[in-house]
Formats: sequence, structure tokens, C-alpha cells
Amino acid sequence: MKLSLFLFALSCVLAQPITAQEIVAPDGNAQFRTWRDQQGRTVEATFRGVEGGQVFLQTRNGYVHRLPLANLSEEDQKMAATLKPEGLGIPKDPNVAQAAAVIDRGVLLGLEKAGQKPNALASDEQFVRRVYLDLAGRIPTREETLAFLNDDSASKRANVIDRLVAGEGFTSRLYNYLADMLRIADDAQKAKFFHYEEWLKQQVADNRPWNLVVRDMLVADGRLLDNGAAGYLLRDRGMRLDNLSLTLSTFLGANVSCAQCHDHPFADWTQRQFYEMAAFFGATETYDRSMGRNAMRGLRGELSQQEFQQARRLFDANSLSIHDQAKSDLALPDDYKYKDGKPGDPVAPALIAWSKEDRRLKCYQTAEAALRKTDNEEIRREIFADWMTAQDNPRFAMTIANRMWKMVFGVGVAEPVTDLDDPEASSNPALLHHLGREMVRLKFDLRAFLRLLCNTQTYQREAYTAEVALGQPYLFPGPVLRRMTAEQAWDSCVTLAIGEKVDAFKLSRASTYKEAVDLDMSQITAETIREKLAQAQSLRRKADGPLGGGKPGKARVKNRRAAMMAESEEEEAASPEMMLGLVLARASELRQPEREGHFLRMFGQCDRQIADSNSIEGSVPQVLMLMNGEAQQVLSSSEALAVATAEAKGSAEAQVESLYLSFFSRKPSAKELETVYEEINGGLTPGELAWVLFNSREFVFVQ
Amino acid sequence: MKSALLQLDPQTRRQFAETVAKTALGVTLLPRLGGAASTAPGVDNRTLPGFGKARHVIWLQMIGGMSHIDTLDPKEGDTKGPADPIPTKAGYQLGGYLPKLAKDHSEKMAIIRSMTSKTGVHASGQYIMRTGYDPRGTIMHPALGAWAQQMLGKSSASLPSSVCINRGPDHGNGFFSAAFSPLPIHDPEAGLQYASGGADSLGKRLGLLNKLDAGFRAKFQDTNLKAYSDFYDDTLKLLASQDLQAFKLDSEAADMREAYGRNKFGQGCLLARRLVEHDVRFIEVAFGSWDMHNDIDDAMEDKGTVLDTALSALLGDLQARGLLDKTLVVLCSEFGRSPKINERSGRDHHPKVFSTLLAGGPVKGGTIYGASDKQGNSPADKQVTIQDFHSTVGHAMGLDVNEIVMSPSNRPFTVGDKGQAIAEVFA
Repeated sequence: MKLSLFLFALSCVLAQPITAQEIVAPDGNAQFRTWRDQQGRTVEATFRGVEGGQVFLQTRNGYVHRLPLANLSEEDQKMAATLKPEGLGIPKDPNVAQAAAVIDRGVLLGLEKAGQKPNALASDEQFVRRVYLDLAGRIPTREETLAFLNDDSASKRANVIDRLVAGEGFTSRLYNYLADMLRIADDAQKAKFFHYEEWLKQQVADNRPWNLVVRDMLVADGRLLDNGAAGYLLRDRGMRLDNLSLTLSTFLGANVSCAQCHDHPFADWTQRQFYEMAAFFGATETYDRSMGRNAMRGLRGELSQQEFQQARRLFDANSLSIHDQAKSDLALPDDYKYKDGKPGDPVAPALIAWSKEDRRLKCYQTAEAALRKTDNEEIRREIFADWMTAQDNPRFAMTIANRMWKMVFGVGVAEPVTDLDDPEASSNPALLHHLGREMVRLKFDLRAFLRLLCNTQTYQREAYTAEVALGQPYLFPGPVLRRMTAEQAWDSCVTLAIGEKVDAFKLSRASTYKEAVDLDMSQITAETIREKLAQAQSLRRKADGPLGGGKPGKARVKNRRAAMMAESEEEEAASPEMMLGLVLARASELRQPEREGHFLRMFGQCDRQIADSNSIEGSVPQVLMLMNGEAQQVLSSSEALAVATAEAKGSAEAQVESLYLSFFSRKPSAKELETVYEEINGGLTPGELAWVLFNSREFVFVQ
Repeated sequence: MKSALLQLDPQTRRQFAETVAKTALGVTLLPRLGGAASTAPGVDNRTLPGFGKARHVIWLQMIGGMSHIDTLDPKEGDTKGPADPIPTKAGYQLGGYLPKLAKDHSEKMAIIRSMTSKTGVHASGQYIMRTGYDPRGTIMHPALGAWAQQMLGKSSASLPSSVCINRGPDHGNGFFSAAFSPLPIHDPEAGLQYASGGADSLGKRLGLLNKLDAGFRAKFQDTNLKAYSDFYDDTLKLLASQDLQAFKLDSEAADMREAYGRNKFGQGCLLARRLVEHDVRFIEVAFGSWDMHNDIDDAMEDKGTVLDTALSALLGDLQARGLLDKTLVVLCSEFGRSPKINERSGRDHHPKVFSTLLAGGPVKGGTIYGASDKQGNSPADKQVTIQDFHSTVGHAMGLDVNEIVMSPSNRPFTVGDKGQAIAEVFA
């Protein structure tokens, strides 16, 4: 019996449609040799390394097998002791290794077809900075970098991925991504959307499967004050067509925005189809009419002008609520101009499909059966949500898979990520389909999916250095060079300033807000309103307290006032650190979005009015801020941990090295040291060097 | 269906087009990217009077909804405001809160009294007035300054082509490159944020920066990376440039500063004039607090006086410096206010009819275009939409309002969303 047979028996064999003659190993490892065990059985495999008396061998199907070193023949034991491990070191989980290898094979096939070659593997320095930014949303601290670089275990890459994917930083990172995608904003509809924000963050923290999270948002009922998931539909209260357009493009990559107003000029969607989809939400009411304005009018005479205005805000907050009515009121628009209907005609719900075959899928059958079975229009929204988030929906899994891919590779397999109407037009259709299936296999576990992507060799290659050529789809010889997102840049600044304490402060505003505005609308009198307003005022101050801050740049001293005032440890955790008026906390724990003029906004955080509109472009005001702004002042002063750590070093060489490790996650080259020395002799301080590193392209671009 | 170019994400594509243009033409002052333009059917505005005569636009946007009856379209009878209308030399009347404009500038101005809109909500109304398009959750539309930069190129070698004063940039670039975004000046007195210190003090550090970073920059042939280096160069050019003086109001004589009014709006108008002198094409100056639901007399006394003073000073100053002929001054707001005075002596939102003002550039002074009815309730003659208004200003700037420009998401857009330019207000 060949060794490979019993090894195969161990492996989890997946049905993989990515097939072709295997020229090299699935993930591109080329160094195959025949290994022999003590009993003379053989297997052809590449050598991945030795750890803890175990040897790791990867066979051509991508599976990485582990067996006791002592089981190998004497000759091969010697070989294992001298051979350089191939590729990425030892994977923790053979199943992940195999799944990653299949993805790598899909990428390699695409490259091969186009006559392109993959990039070399990234160095440990490149890898550690990239993987921290992608999975923890910030650069590693100097200590984290050193720990990784000095770790000589063969499994260190897989280990750091596992640690980061399970960490708090991941929650911030993914939340920021989703906040841009979903237009998460503190202020909307004249109320605060804190419950929505905290609900979403909790879903990410709990790692709830993506399909369930999305379903919750679409079917949510009740007040926003009681159910954060309701925020998704309430965000666009009174604009249900816009909301639907975004739902379809965001979660399904259906490019329907034109069909909202007219037949789509390029794709197949018609305006009628758009309205048929909208009909699923036609019975959904996003305003609680059982209370509010009428009751308010009666109080106009009894309250002062100011009280009345404030009371209206209370009503606004309490009336943000979703429920379904018995009947849909959706009709064709006034300017409907196609022959299949007249303006004002009621519209029955019907699902879009991308091909005729789609209609045979279980998710369509189930939805259509449900529609036939009942006249109850209240449940249409659920029927839609079940269809949309079904694992066999033709686009749902693929869309989030493509988005997550873009998050760590910089470009989607299909672009733009909001248009997957024709997957065959993507840069690598087989890969795109495969990623969708992997998302389903992993049960929409986004952490597991990103863990998988980061374990691929494709991810761990060097970034692409050439210009992406016009007319050429990007085939992923490696990730592309990316500018940090606004949130990555800010969180990295905070890391440089306060190190690992970056995750200490957690913003929590929903419960205080609810306490302040929650009102029993059936029992209102001028007196109860006044009481509530007085209470609200004191609570509001408390809710906004941690982010209050002063105007930035007032004083060049660390503001420890908040920390000093805190008595118990618990309260201390409730107050973020501040320097120069900047609240030093993760972007995810600051205002959503931050105020105009804040580092985050100047660096491209969007105003959360348009989906996926964070910008990675530069601007003159942005550059002025990087050269002269508060964050820069903090980072080039001894107040910043990275600078203080460098200043504490005895020699100039150690100082420079320390700053390079902090900012770039690498040591300086001999040439760089020489250049910096000249300047140090000319009086350059560590703070000034920090300014230089902060303003380098190498700092803001992720390679 | 999809061109291969669409494989790149929109930003990459846009940057690519810019890079190609830069390399091919060797210029950054670049008109009309993307080759042959396609046009939408419509009257060719390029042959109408006034085309391209406004090399600069000062766009004064009153935030909150400026009452038309108390400013540009005064009424007698039930709906008359607290102040008596003032007659002017040009023959029309102005609201009682604008005595300086009435006395000295009526012959420079054209007033459109038949503006109409469907939107009585502040945020979307302001958006429509700024971009000419209804807000959508899926795309941002450019302001006219960005349109002009797209179609006509940059207006200055060292300064941005668009500046916005007393407001944030709020995606003024729309779906165009961030390089088209207006430079924000949040406080005219403070000038350009983070610009103190000048280029010299940065010299040593920048020298080192360029040396240390050279290897990284050489390694990647990436347009966005290069664009960053360009932004650093542009910024340094700006910091070293004499044009930086444009942002410094200190260099104006005290009586000039007084003449505009020592407030954010007045000083913003003064800054706008300085920017025109330094070749900035499109300058927005925002002025808030026009949402006068209560006691409109008091509020108009306050805001109207500030507006009257600043706009009068601006028109007089531009004329005295010979800049008025090439500078179009625009006064607008997201909607008007209700003819009926409410129980709190205020006026409520009123998009059905309102007024805008144009002066300078090719404007035929003393013109009243269109009319509202007797109460100031609805348009009575020659109704003008915000789209028409945008087309009119775009026309004066020399923009072909029929030219179709595709957004990165491949949707077609035109200046003023298919509105009609009103040539009758131009000479």
C-alpha cells in the first residue's frame, strides 16, 4: 500500500470544480520529492516543515499531512532536518490548508491562462504588517512585530492569523467595513441610531453568520430603541425604493439603480421588475402612526416654544418603528411609461432571477410556494429575506465572498462589488464561483472565511508592483498595493500613540440614550414631557461625555483630566485617553461618522450618505493635515509611546531601529541608517524622524 | 457588455484616465478627459448669449431657506413682510432689509422670481441647489466647480479650482476625482487650515523624507501612490507660492474689511474676491440661519443686514477692480418661505416659488425674469427649475449643458440634469 493512500483517507475530500492538469502543486509549491516511511511506503509531497517532532508534508491535492518524524525512513529524517520548508510554513489546520490550496490553484490557473506568473512570497516583515492591518485594522506594535519576527516556529504565520481573526481588533476592522457599506451614522431621521450601531457591532463581535445578520435586518420589527436591527430599514425611512436599490446592490450585486427610474440600459432589469421586488416591502410601515403628531398638537399651548421643539425630538425617536400592515400600498410610479402597466397600478411581488435555471433553485421554489399559499401581505418581507439570504441564492454568498476578498486583496474578483449580474465578466469566474461556495461551506462565518483567505499563498505573496494595465483584468499574482483606509490609518496612529491600549476604550451610548428619550406615548402630558426633558438633558451629557473633548490643538499637553476624575477602574475604562484634544480610541468607538475636519474625515472616512464611499484618494487639505495636524503633532512628540520608546534607547542606531519597527514593522537597511545618521549629526531628533516616517508613502500604503 | 476597463475599480480607472492624459499631453491643466464627447439632444447652449463669459463664479448659498418675499420678490397686501419694499433705479423693488443693494446695485443684478422646486426638506433641498440633482443613496453628484474642472481643466497652477468657505467640501467633487473636491475654508479669518509654518520649516524633514522613501516609491508603478506624491508636491508648491497670500485677510486694509462686515459671511465674501484675483474659478460661500420659523422681522433684520452689506461691498469692490465683467455672483437658497406669516410671526418652508439673483459676468443688469403670483405663492410666469438655474450658471461658465459625462459606475449625467439655460438674463 502506498503511503499516500492512508494519508488520503485522513483528508477531507472536497468536491472541487477547479480542475486542470496539475503542473505544480495546487498552491504553487514546486519542490516535490518522494518521501518514504519506515515500512517502505512512499508519497510524493512538498516539505512544509518540522515542529514538535512532527513532519508536515503537502500532497498534490493540497492537503497537508502531519506524521511523527520518527516514522520516516532514516534517510528522509536527515533530509527533513536540512531541507528548507516550502511556502508558508506549517498550517494549523490541514483542512484550511487544503481549502487555501484550492483557492491558490484557481488563482494560478487564471494567471497561467494569461501567461502571467505569481509574485514571490512576501517577507515576514511585509506579511506581519499586512495581516495586522487586514485582520486587526491597525499596524502591529513594535513589540508585536519583534515577537513575530523572532518567532522561529514554522507555524507562526498560521498562528498569527488565528490569533488576529479571533481578536477584538477584528471586530473593529469588520465593523468599519460594514459601517461604510451600510452607511452607519449616529444621526439620521432626527434621532440617534446608537442601537443599530451597537447591535451590528455585537453581531460582529459574536461572529454571527452573515446570512442571519442580514436576515435580521430585513425582517426586523418594532422600535429602533428596542431592536437595533430595525436600523437598517429605518435608516431610509420614507425612501423605501432607495433602500431596496441599496439592498439589491449591496447584498446581491444586482445593479438595479437605474431601473428604479427607468428600464436598465445595460443589464436586463426593467422598472417593472424593480417595483415587483419593492412589492415585498409594500406593506412595511416605517412610522408608528399610533402616536405622535396628534398627541403633540394638543400640547402646543401647554409647552413653551423650546420645550415643544425638544418634545418633537422625543416623539421622533419613539416613533422610529417598523411594523407590517395588512395590505401593500405599492403602485407603479406617476411617470411609468412602459406598456405592461399604468401609473398607479398595484404591483404584485415577484423575484428577479439571473437566468431561467435560477427559478428551479430551492430558494425560488420555497418563496413562490409561500406567496401562493397565503394572501397575508404582512409576511412578504420574510419571504424576501429567506430567499435573499438562502445558501442557494445565486448571488448572496458570492457577493459577500467577493467583498471580503476585496477587503484583503484590494481588488474584487468581480468589480465593482455592487455589480455581479454577470459573473462570467469577472477576472476569474471559476474562482468567483468557488469563493461563493466556500462561503456557503463555511456557513457564512466571516472570520473563518477571512482566516481561509489569509492562509492562501496568494495572500501571502508580495504586492503587485506594476501598473495594472488598461484592458487587463487583475488576476492576483499577489494583493495590490493599497492605501490604508481612513480607519486603518487612524487606528494605526492611536497604536503608535498608546500601543496595545488601543482597544481599551469601548463606546456605549445606546442604553443611556434610550433612558433619556424612551417615552410611554399613550400617557403623555405636559408634565411628563417636562420631566422627561429635564432627565434627558443630564443623560445626554453623560452619553456624549467620553467623546466630548475640547477643540483640537488648544494645548500641547496630554489631557489626563478625564482619567484623573475617574474613581473606579470601571469608570476609567469608560474614559478614553486624550492628547491635543484627540480622543485616542479606535475609529469604531468614535462618532459615526466623525465630525468634518477630524483626521478620519480628512483621510477619507465618508459622511455615510452613500454606500461604500470611503475614499482612498489624497487631497491638499489631507496632506496639510499629515504635515501639520494634531495627529502628526502627537506622533512626533515624546507623548507618543513609539517616540518615547525610541528616546529611551541608548544609541542612535537603536533609536532609529525602534522607530522603524514601530512605523514600518521592519528594521532599517544599512543605507537608510547611514542616511539618517547624517541627519542626526545635523541635529535631527527622534520626533522629527517620526514625522518623516509618518509622512512616507511607505507608512500609508500597505504592501 | 462590460469593457475590460471595468475590471478595475472606479477609482483606479479614473486615475488611469488621468495618468494617460498626463503622460500623453504632458499637462495637468486638462480639458475633457475620455475622448470624443457625446451629447444629449437639446438646444445647443453654446450659441446662446453669455456663453463662457463668466470666468469665475462666486456662489452664495443661503442655508435654511431665504424668504423670497422679504428679499428679492417683495409683495404688498396680506403677505407683505414687516419691512416696506424699497424702489430701485432699475425700476423693480427689493425687500426692505436690503437698502444698500437697492440703492447702489440694482442695475448690476438680474433676479429670477419664478424659481420652483418640489423639495421642502433642508438637506435634500440644499443638495439639489448645490448639484442640480436629487440626492440618491447610490451616487454623489458634482457641484458646478467640479463640472467646470472636468470640462475646462484647472483654473490655477498653484491653487485649487474650487474653494468652499464656511462649509465643508461635502463631496463637492461628486463622482469625479478627489482632486476636484473644493478646498474647505471653515473660518475665513483663520484662512487655510494647517498651512502655517510655510514650506521652509519643512525643508529639512522633507529632504530626508524624499531620500528615505525613494526606494518605496520607485518599487511600485501605482497611480494612486504617484498621485500622493503629486499631492505632496502640489501642497508644497502652494505653501511656497505667493498665492498662499490669497487666504490671508490680514493684508486687506481695515476699512475694506469693515466694508464687507466683520462677520463670517462678510469676510468670506472678501476672501472670495481675493481668490478670484488669484484665479480660483468657483468659490462657494455659505451663510446659515435662514430658517426663520419664528419672528422673521428680527431674524431678517439680523441676517438681511449682513447679506446686504457683504453683497453690496462685493459687487462694488469687484466693479472697482475691473473683475465684475468676468465674475458671476450668484445668490441662492434651497427654497423660499411661505407667504403666510405663521402664529409665531415667522414663515415656514416654501419650495413652490422662490427667487435667485445673478450679477456680474454676462448678466444683463436690471433684469427681472419670471414672476410669482400676487401673494408670492406660486410661479405666475416663466417657471424656472433648479435644473434650469444650474444650466444657466453652467452656460455662463462655458459648459456645454448637453454633453453627456459617464460616471465611474457608467451612468450618464449632464450639467444641470437636462435643464434649459436661460439666455434672456444675459447680454
